[in-house]
Amino acid sequence: MSFTLSALKTASLSTRTRLMPAVGSPLIRSLQTSSSNNMATATDQPLKKEPKYKTIEIYRWNPDTPTEKPRLETYKLDLNTCGPMVLDALIKIKNEQDPTLTFRRSCREGICGSCAMNIEGGNTLACISKIDRDITKPLKIYPLPHMNIVKDLVPDLTHFYNQYKSIEPYLKQKQGPTDGKENLQSIEDRKKLDGLYECILCACCSTSCPSYWWNQEEYLGPAVLMQAYRWMIDSRDQFGVERRDKLQNKMSLYRCHTIMNCSKTCPKGLAPGTAIAEIKLMMAKE
Amino acid sequence: MLATRSILKTVAQNHTASKVVFKNIAAAPMGVRHFNVSPISKAQSPDAESELLRQQRKVRPVSPHLTIYQPQLTWYMSGLHRVTGAAVGGAFYLAAMGYLAAPSLGITVDTASMVSAAAAAPVAAKVLAKVTVATPFVFHCLNGIRHLAWDATKFLNIKDVYKTGYAVIGGTVVGTLYLASL
Repeated sequence: MSFTLSALKTASLSTRTRLMPAVGSPLIRSLQTSSSNNMATATDQPLKKEPKYKTIEIYRWNPDTPTEKPRLETYKLDLNTCGPMVLDALIKIKNEQDPTLTFRRSCREGICGSCAMNIEGGNTLACISKIDRDITKPLKIYPLPHMNIVKDLVPDLTHFYNQYKSIEPYLKQKQGPTDGKENLQSIEDRKKLDGLYECILCACCSTSCPSYWWNQEEYLGPAVLMQAYRWMIDSRDQFGVERRDKLQNKMSLYRCHTIMNCSKTCPKGLAPGTAIAEIKLMMAKE
Repeated sequence: MLATRSILKTVAQNHTASKVVFKNIAAAPMGVRHFNVSPISKAQSPDAESELLRQQRKVRPVSPHLTIYQPQLTWYMSGLHRVTGAAVGGAFYLAAMGYLAAPSLGITVDTASMVSAAAAAPVAAKVLAKVTVATPFVFHCLNGIRHLAWDATKFLNIKDVYKTGYAVIGGTVVGTLYLASL
């Protein structure tokens, strides 16, 4: 019985200290610990966040109704219930609002290059592009510029891949390795490939280049040219001269006018513009 | 089993066969898996597929570019370089042609007439004319030097592109003010 009374007393003591945190009764020393104040109680309501609606405008076109012109469709999304990246928003819209919204995506971590698109005027990967928390401005999402559109945000990259294939992006040798086993490479020579091999061929840079917009058929574009450079300066490759010879014409390389949109927009922080300038210098010296 | 395989081979090679129907299922030996052979429909052949793709590709729209791409120092300055180059070059060419054509039009173009015309003109018109000619000329000159630096693979990373870009814009303002004050 004494146990229960003391238990009641302690219970009332604790409730009194919680309910009257500021007022200390002169008879009872209130145990004012910060942890007891912060601990959730049965009476507390979960913090209700006001919905934060962001307007998202997305380019739409349906190949099933090809005569209809492409349009901008507006969606409203509560940012408090959505992940931080643009890809999270797109997936949420597709799941909850409009299942017909079409886009490419895969790794969701910026390494596959599938979700490359034009976000707020610049070409980046949607999965590593943070949504601007300012809800007074709409978020504009377009497909990669000046590309043939298969559907909504999906561009036709066939020609881009064919251009990549045309530069023969593999090791080519006239003689095998000197010891007959491994293609040895010094550390300095390997360093030359840093900043070149990390390209994920997302096509952000090529489709940001106005020269590629106007001459897509014949101009190779920064992505492909950077990879051509990557093979030219690989110490193990022996076909450097031939690779440069293939670019000795008005269009393949020399449509580049150093506009530098490519380096600005690369989502992996690479510098295709620099690589192209290096190729030009090498070719001028040959 | 061998019998059905050879039958299937003949069906596969027989593109012109439009209707191949196995009626005598009872004739096939017991215990052999029956293949329900459907004709290779014309729409699924590789030629038909690529023809379908060709038709689809014809109607595809081109995604917007100039209208939606973010205004950036990079392509704006490059566009301005091209425009000022064409403008300054074109104006110089027209002036040269004008100089050649002037006598036949009855206009005298020599030092004396040019000096008197300039003296008669109001100050505002003179300043405006000087600024209009000087700005694209100075911009194109300074940006041209920037281009030459790029061709030597200098200042190619984005930080330097922007630094030199702002330097060219600043230099244009200074240069124009100087030339207009002469």
